[in-house]
Amino acid sequence: MSLLPRRLNASLGLWVAVVFAAITLTRLTSFAATAAEPPAAEAVIRKRLALAIVAEEADQKREIRELALTGSKVVREILSAWPKDRILLYTGDGGVRIPALIEDETDADGKSRAARIDTGAFLADASGKTLRFATTDITTAETDAALRTVLQLALDAMALADPLPDARKTAILKLGNSQKPLNIVILQERLPLENDPDVKKAILESIALLQLGDPDPTVLKAAIEQLGRLRSIGSLDLLKRVSAREGLSPEIRRVLAESIHGIDNHINNVNLVGTFFRGLSLGSILLVVALGLAITFGLMGIINMAHGEMIAIGAYTTYVVQNLFGTGFGFSITLPFSFGGKPIAFGLHLPGLNATGSLYESYFLFAIPLSFLMAALAGLVIERLVIRFLYRRPLESLLATWGVSLVMQQLFRMVFGANNVQVGSPTGLVGHFDINDVSFGYNRVFVIGFAVLIVIGTWLLLTRTSLGLLIRAVMQNRDMASCIGVRTNRVNVLTFAFGSGLAGLAGAFLSQIGNVGPSLGQSYIVDSFMTVVVGGVGSIVGTVCAAIGIGTADQILQQTTGSPVTGKIVVLISIILFLQWRPGGLFSIRSRSLD
Amino acid sequence: MNPLHKEFILTLEGVNKTFDGFKAISALNFYMDVGELRIIIGPNGAGKSTMMDIITGRTRPDTGRVEYEKNTDLTRLNEYQINRLGISRKFQTPSVYVGHSVFQNILLSLKGDRGVFAALCHRITPSETERIHNVLTTVGLAEKSNWKAGALSHGQKQWLEIGMLLAQDPKLLLVDEPAAGMSDEETAKTGELLLSLEGKHSVVVIEHDMAFVRQLGRKVTVLHQGTVLCEGSVDQVQNDERVIEVYLGRKKKDKT
Amino acid sequence: MRPESKRLETWLTIAAAFVLIVLLPALNALPLPEALHVSDFTINLYGKYLCYAILAISVDVLWGYTGLLSLGQALFFSLGGYMMGMYLMRMIGDLGQYHQPIPDFLVFLGWSKLPPFWQPFSSFPFALLMAALLPGVLATVFGFLAFRSRIRGVYFSILTQALTYGACLLFFRNSLLLGGNNGFTDFKFILGQNLRTPGTQRGLYIVTAVTLVAIFMGCRWLSRTKFGLIQQAIRDSENRVLFSGYAAAHYKLFVFVLCSLIASIGGVLYVPQVGIINPSEMGTEKSLEAVVWVAVGGRGTLIGPILGAFGVNALKSWATRAYPDLWLIFLGVLFVLVTVFMPRGLVGIPGQLRGLYQRWNRTSKDPAPVAVAEVEAEKGGL
Repeated sequence: MSLLPRRLNASLGLWVAVVFAAITLTRLTSFAATAAEPPAAEAVIRKRLALAIVAEEADQKREIRELALTGSKVVREILSAWPKDRILLYTGDGGVRIPALIEDETDADGKSRAARIDTGAFLADASGKTLRFATTDITTAETDAALRTVLQLALDAMALADPLPDARKTAILKLGNSQKPLNIVILQERLPLENDPDVKKAILESIALLQLGDPDPTVLKAAIEQLGRLRSIGSLDLLKRVSAREGLSPEIRRVLAESIHGIDNHINNVNLVGTFFRGLSLGSILLVVALGLAITFGLMGIINMAHGEMIAIGAYTTYVVQNLFGTGFGFSITLPFSFGGKPIAFGLHLPGLNATGSLYESYFLFAIPLSFLMAALAGLVIERLVIRFLYRRPLESLLATWGVSLVMQQLFRMVFGANNVQVGSPTGLVGHFDINDVSFGYNRVFVIGFAVLIVIGTWLLLTRTSLGLLIRAVMQNRDMASCIGVRTNRVNVLTFAFGSGLAGLAGAFLSQIGNVGPSLGQSYIVDSFMTVVVGGVGSIVGTVCAAIGIGTADQILQQTTGSPVTGKIVVLISIILFLQWRPGGLFSIRSRSLD
Repeated sequence: MNPLHKEFILTLEGVNKTFDGFKAISALNFYMDVGELRIIIGPNGAGKSTMMDIITGRTRPDTGRVEYEKNTDLTRLNEYQINRLGISRKFQTPSVYVGHSVFQNILLSLKGDRGVFAALCHRITPSETERIHNVLTTVGLAEKSNWKAGALSHGQKQWLEIGMLLAQDPKLLLVDEPAAGMSDEETAKTGELLLSLEGKHSVVVIEHDMAFVRQLGRKVTVLHQGTVLCEGSVDQVQNDERVIEVYLGRKKKDKT
Repeated sequence: MRPESKRLETWLTIAAAFVLIVLLPALNALPLPEALHVSDFTINLYGKYLCYAILAISVDVLWGYTGLLSLGQALFFSLGGYMMGMYLMRMIGDLGQYHQPIPDFLVFLGWSKLPPFWQPFSSFPFALLMAALLPGVLATVFGFLAFRSRIRGVYFSILTQALTYGACLLFFRNSLLLGGNNGFTDFKFILGQNLRTPGTQRGLYIVTAVTLVAIFMGCRWLSRTKFGLIQQAIRDSENRVLFSGYAAAHYKLFVFVLCSLIASIGGVLYVPQVGIINPSEMGTEKSLEAVVWVAVGGRGTLIGPILGAFGVNALKSWATRAYPDLWLIFLGVLFVLVTVFMPRGLVGIPGQLRGLYQRWNRTSKDPAPVAVAEVEAEKGGL
């Protein structure tokens, strides 16, 4: 029995670590991707650029296209500045024309510096003093319509060669929607070079989109068929516009109708999958929030109204850890009482690490276990101070813990202020990826993965460890367990702390998807109680099913009724009706003993 | 066991009940005559309490027929409806209203209209007072009439609950371990009381205490694994090999 | 209970009723020297407390007497309040900010004429009827479903909490046409009287005091009938009640509907005296606050909730002014202490002291009376 706390630590520590390392590391590593060019190559490119700007027309065009193939950042910068009249032609010693890029920044007199294109250094006079130019009295590199077209094509081609697939895709779709048949050439040139299947699809889609403007009926038909095959959602409007055209052959009309129909179906499927995905992620949130409650309420029979505040502790811990990685954290409270003529005040200031970049981003890795520990600690204190008196009085545990929740909410207000605080997400959790047009937000995927791991961890703890055995024994029959020598007090404390810690994890997690404020927990408390009741008190499997069921039902109803509130009310009513059918919840544990 | 010879007050035929895979009652057949006193014994988990639960509507059987008197199907009714038919039950752990006085406990159990509005308009009549007094005298609690039931000892609570059953004047009494927590003297008295009910009422007694069963000396039904193992007099049952094996035998082994 | 203590209780009740109904309003109305005079503010404040006391009684009859901890009483209170509020909104007439014959918020939402369901609320009796019907029907439907499926104990609390939460969300919506999150305010007249004169407020106070005393007497009567005995029997041993042939669900439903009506009456009287009703009044926190009053005063007694409603709210009035930041901490700590150490509230203190004294006195001699005290404490603990 003396091994109890160590066992708890070991098993908890293990799975907590595995969870976060697995999920977060994979996301954190992906953003150190773009590498700088070697300086030697850049110097050569700069020389060629400078020459190209002052070169003859024919050479100029060839040079531009060749430079574009390098994909260099400098090239892109200069080529896009050129048609905007921001390339200065400076006449240096001996009438040599030196091209330079005018800076965006202007000083008090409205003058700017200019950076030489061949070296990258600022233009200076003989004495080495940096020259400043007023935009009104300078000669810029001229462009005509033909040159501008060449420049634009070069820039587009460069965008298509961007190392990031997402950027390529955006550029491709931009071309596709440009309605300029000229762009077909660029896209077709790029097609064999492209390796990413997703981007390849975008190229085909864009080509087909541009071909919709083609007067040749065979090309048009092929394009329509292609778009239908690709289930291109973006082309739906355009296809409908095409079908409004006069004088289309019946064959084309048939193909058109087929494609539009196919795309419509696809949109429905995408929406359906999207709704289920959002439902699943909402369900996972509910699950993480309710799982701690399934322990404290389901297993221990304690109605912990302060459960919401345990969640808030987790969220605020994340906030504090974030600030400690940044500029530091501090607060001060002055009480309206005085002692010896001085008002009683206390406060705390912790200096921050002032970390930046990926070190700062990694704060979340530290915040997760800490939020568990802080909430578990709070749970431990509350159990010892209040709840241990109330194990035989469940209704009263509800009331006393509500008192605790009031106190905690007010403490949050005093320490963190009454307003919401800002918790930033690590970059790894921002954004989304698409599979077959369904958009999966990274934070939602993270939510689901996190929930799965927590559930597995809890389940393993309860069924595969000796602590779990003790917990189950005490929760089933406290008296009998104590008779056979189980230290029920200690098991109670640990179980409650564990349940509270799970709530803390939920808080860390909610800080990534919503506001963090003193009443954060309040908005989840009713939902989580309902989840546990619907699932069947004391059944972890039931809680999982109920959470996912309620989450999905909520999302579907929000879609069909068009209002989150109506959806929520309908869910509440259905839960009440559901309990008519199964008063004990989904997985009720039938007991033969008299209550 | 010929169902034709007499009218049964209670008939259970082919009753099955499973709790989460555990067969609490399986293919149980049980017949009881009007006015009979029957004793049910069986090791723990034999299904005695579950059988009571099924008769009183607390649990619904998965399959089977539970009939009361002629053609009253008990499986379709719930607890209070079954009670109103004249079936009263005493629980294993005494179940009395701890916040009420002994007098009030009996008052609430007196036969009469159980409706909400009847309860609102009800006034205690002298005849009711007298009946309550009689019941309390029978169970030996007349002097504690104004005590709070919660203040009674375990044995006194058992008596009070028996009194509450008597006050209902039921046709069928189901009594679960009445002698638990009673002294030898009280146990003997309980036995006498139960025997005195025989004839006017039908009584089912569940009991573990073999001395008490011997005192009652009526037909015994042995339950084992949710079904009837054998039936007969105390001596017959005690000498039945199967019974010795599953129940008494095991007990003897424990002792040696 | 011994006859002399019963007589004492009756006299105390009569005296308290006299002070509340006659003495306080008289001291307010008569031109008296400063020391004796009861200010208009005090009368208005006490009127509010009396409404809270009515709400507290409704919580206590359910919780203290029947063992049903409802977290939905604030909902029924607010429903009554909203029905009264609709009448009072109609009585503003065209004296609102927009000088239209319909309530300002409707003008703001773009309505030019009254929605049909608002029409009949210009009738006072209709508003009262609705204040009885709406909570009554809601309680009947909800109670029927809940008690039929034998939802009890904490599950009942959780479900009533969910009901309240759902209703609260609903009332926050503008499209319900009940004022959204601002609710109703700026009332002007009631039954032709100007609401803002001390005379009207005094009248409302007296009506509230009389109602409270009537509800108190009614509930006291009820608790002493056989019905009351069954009610408390359900609290102590619902199984025994069922196996004694009582349909516990019918009794619980009756009590639940009755208490919803009592709460609604409290709300009807509350709104004209406080001058505002909005959805935050029906949140679960308000229900829980009412439960606090009952717990502090002493549940399972009828005087307890009244004491608790007055005591806690007086403390609140003082503390929110003196220590606005710490008030919630006070309330929370008070509540924890009461629940853990004083399960029978203020009313139970003498008994608790007596129990302690007996235990102190007799532990060595005779263990039996200690058992009695423990049983009583446990019963209080429910």
